[in-house]
Amino acid sequence: MKAGLFIEIFCFIAGIFFATFFVAADIPEAKRMISSITKHFFIRSYDSIKDGRIQLFIFPLLDYTVQAMNSLVTAKDLTKTFKDVTAVNGISFEIKEGECFGFLGPNGAGKTTTVRMIHCVSPITSGTLIVNGMPAHINNREIKKMTGVIPQEINLDIDLTVDENLMIHARFFDIPRAQARKRIDDYLKFVALDQKKNSKIDELSTGMKKRLLVARALINDPKLIIADEPTTGLDPQARHLIWQRLRELKRKGATLILTTQYMEEAEQLCDRLVIMHKGKILMEGAPKDLIEKVIGSEVVEIRISKDEDEKLIEKLAFASCGNERVGDTLYFYCRDGHELMKKVVEMNLTNVINRPASLEDVFLKLTGRSLIE
Amino acid sequence: MNLSYRIYYVFLRNLISYKRFIFTTFLVSLGQPFFYLITFGIGMGAYMGAFGGKPYLYFLVPGVLISSVMMSSAAECMYGTFVKMIHEKLYDSLIATPISCEDAIAGDIAWGTFRGLISGILMLVVALLMGVLPVSLVNLVLLLLLMVFVGVLFASLSMIVSAFAPNFDFFSYYTELILTPMLFFSGVFFPLDKFPGWMKVLAQFLPLTHAVNISRSIFSGEASPGLAFNFLVLILVEIAVFFAGIKLMKRRLIK
Repeated sequence: MKAGLFIEIFCFIAGIFFATFFVAADIPEAKRMISSITKHFFIRSYDSIKDGRIQLFIFPLLDYTVQAMNSLVTAKDLTKTFKDVTAVNGISFEIKEGECFGFLGPNGAGKTTTVRMIHCVSPITSGTLIVNGMPAHINNREIKKMTGVIPQEINLDIDLTVDENLMIHARFFDIPRAQARKRIDDYLKFVALDQKKNSKIDELSTGMKKRLLVARALINDPKLIIADEPTTGLDPQARHLIWQRLRELKRKGATLILTTQYMEEAEQLCDRLVIMHKGKILMEGAPKDLIEKVIGSEVVEIRISKDEDEKLIEKLAFASCGNERVGDTLYFYCRDGHELMKKVVEMNLTNVINRPASLEDVFLKLTGRSLIE
Repeated sequence: MNLSYRIYYVFLRNLISYKRFIFTTFLVSLGQPFFYLITFGIGMGAYMGAFGGKPYLYFLVPGVLISSVMMSSAAECMYGTFVKMIHEKLYDSLIATPISCEDAIAGDIAWGTFRGLISGILMLVVALLMGVLPVSLVNLVLLLLLMVFVGVLFASLSMIVSAFAPNFDFFSYYTELILTPMLFFSGVFFPLDKFPGWMKVLAQFLPLTHAVNISRSIFSGEASPGLAFNFLVLILVEIAVFFAGIKLMKRRLIK
């Protein structure tokens, strides 16, 4: 056995021992240190696995420690009721450090309400919510200090210029003037607004305003970034720019919480996501796994009148794992579309589309294809 | 109450935004009380003769000064706050930072007070030009303190109104039906002695009455009867409306 490998394994076991001790002792500083060490170690081990230098049996163990250490947000039976409406209904989830976690759902699903509780601007009705080891409640300034929020609504200060907006925001976080100055210049460049420094807010387009909100959210170098529908109503260019920036921030180690109703956005950005509907979590997982689990891998859409349904479903049942009728279209979900398509061609049906399954199918299947009010 | 030094940051934000409106607001906050002074003071004063041994202007200035503080700070915490709350969504962005909801509201009350103080000082300059001033420098400082005190009171009172206001019209009800009548029932323009008994009792329930009494004592340097009572009422009302304003506004902002 190579000496390097031996040392690595020894360190790993010793690391687990100490980590367990510190977690048991509940020392937040130590936990944070340990988690960064394990992360580093994890990445190194992963590289050596690729080199074929280390046995795979360590891998799941390691993965487990990383998971156990790095939970940044933990919610249990989280509930929020407004006067007579239950906006969030007893949901539980866990967001790990460094990941991008998505809340996907139609309007009124409770996404925004959930993230508002996470960043401590909305009181919790019942349940527990822990953010970075601290209980979330509206008076928790510590959580707000480490969080950057890109709000759904544009709430820039229209009485101030771009620069003043960021400067006063930095003051709110007690950031010294010189440091704020530097960050403002950096982040304005980051979102490509350095030319607009002295513009009034009214002079900016919607896309620019959203980008400015991104810069504003970063001014306190947040550990947790909450993006509440960051690209709603933007043109494709602005959308892609914001996605790129969010991915870049994640690469730099920030944890990202994203709410969205765009499936594409969720597939682009999220490591894991939950699909919410009427205040409940319907499903949780990585986008790919969700598609695989709920839909399969392909979808065949046949535009055909309702009368033919029974005959068609009977004929095609052998190749599909599910079907659904919505309006003028009959959807077949399948692992492999080939067999089904062969049959379809045989039957000489026109108006057929065969395409890979997307998160949108998952979403629509779970929340129903009819309009949600 | 989750108040902190961050009240200052909210105040600072308002101060930065103020530089765009400074000229117009100076004019506005000067306008109404200025015309009161001219019309009542000089026009009507000519018919009044001596008022307790002094010209009518000496009676009028302390009252108009305090009422201009009242009007400015009240307006700021109605219209200004409402725009920031509903149209600009400013409070939403404030409370997503370490600033608490209470800080934000108290910061706006401080701002309204400052606006009131500015109006008061402008009026003081006008009064100076007309030859009316507090008797001593100490009294001048006391007067400034009183203006701050009155500013906080009426800014907080406006916060209570803002906490319930569904739209702008609501503010004109408050201004027309409560603030403006208060000017006439609080002995700003004429003494309350000749009023029937029930009106005198009513006047005792108006905070402006007490503030005007104190202001007059500061200007003349002679303690009027019931000065201690005036102070007591004002302090109690102030504490009550300050906390009620914050609490009610918070109820509207935090959901």
